[in-house]
Amino acid sequence: MTKATRPSSELPAYLSHELRNALACIQQFGNILIDGLAGELSGEQREYIGIMLENASKIRSVLDSALDGTERPL
Amino acid sequence: MDTTKILVVDDNPTIRKGLGVRLRASGYEVLFAGDAVAATAALVTDRPDLVILDLGLPCGDGFVVMERLSNNDRLANIPVIVLTGRELAGNRDRALEAGAAAFFQKPVEDRNLLYAIRKALDNSRGELRFDE
Repeated sequence: MTKATRPSSELPAYLSHELRNALACIQQFGNILIDGLAGELSGEQREYIGIMLENASKIRSVLDSALDGTERPL
Repeated sequence: MDTTKILVVDDNPTIRKGLGVRLRASGYEVLFAGDAVAATAALVTDRPDLVILDLGLPCGDGFVVMERLSNNDRLANIPVIVLTGRELAGNRDRALEAGAAAFFQKPVEDRNLLYAIRKALDNSRGELRFDE
């Protein structure tokens, strides 16, 4: 179903599925990098990936609150 | 000692790849399936020790896979951890009632998923010992 033909009642479920999958990929591979599973990182590289992960966590918290009415601690 | 086999069922190849890296780093052997039919085939052929199961899948959803598991005596005690992008309402309770050992929404913290895997495997092996 295309975005144009999707009923508005299905929008929250669609957003939840698509955004959570995209966030899961960001978080999964960010953690793989920061844990050194793909090789050692410099301190600066770890810091920057940490910033990415911290902001991914903020987006997740907004999603939880907006789409499911729950909120996880950051 | 045999390696613990985990079947990861998700239609998103990037999710499968990321889970594979994390689980292998934790000492597990990882198998993959991208839809409900491939998942059912892998369950019968490879008999994994645990399944990480997405709900939104091609060729039948995760609930279909759980039903096939519970209807097969040889496979019914394989623990299932649901990991999904679907909303909580209507999915979490249904998955737990269908027998899931745990339910997580994506994205899940690695430590929470790994803890749930250990706990589900311990419970599963405890049940086997009890049955014997």
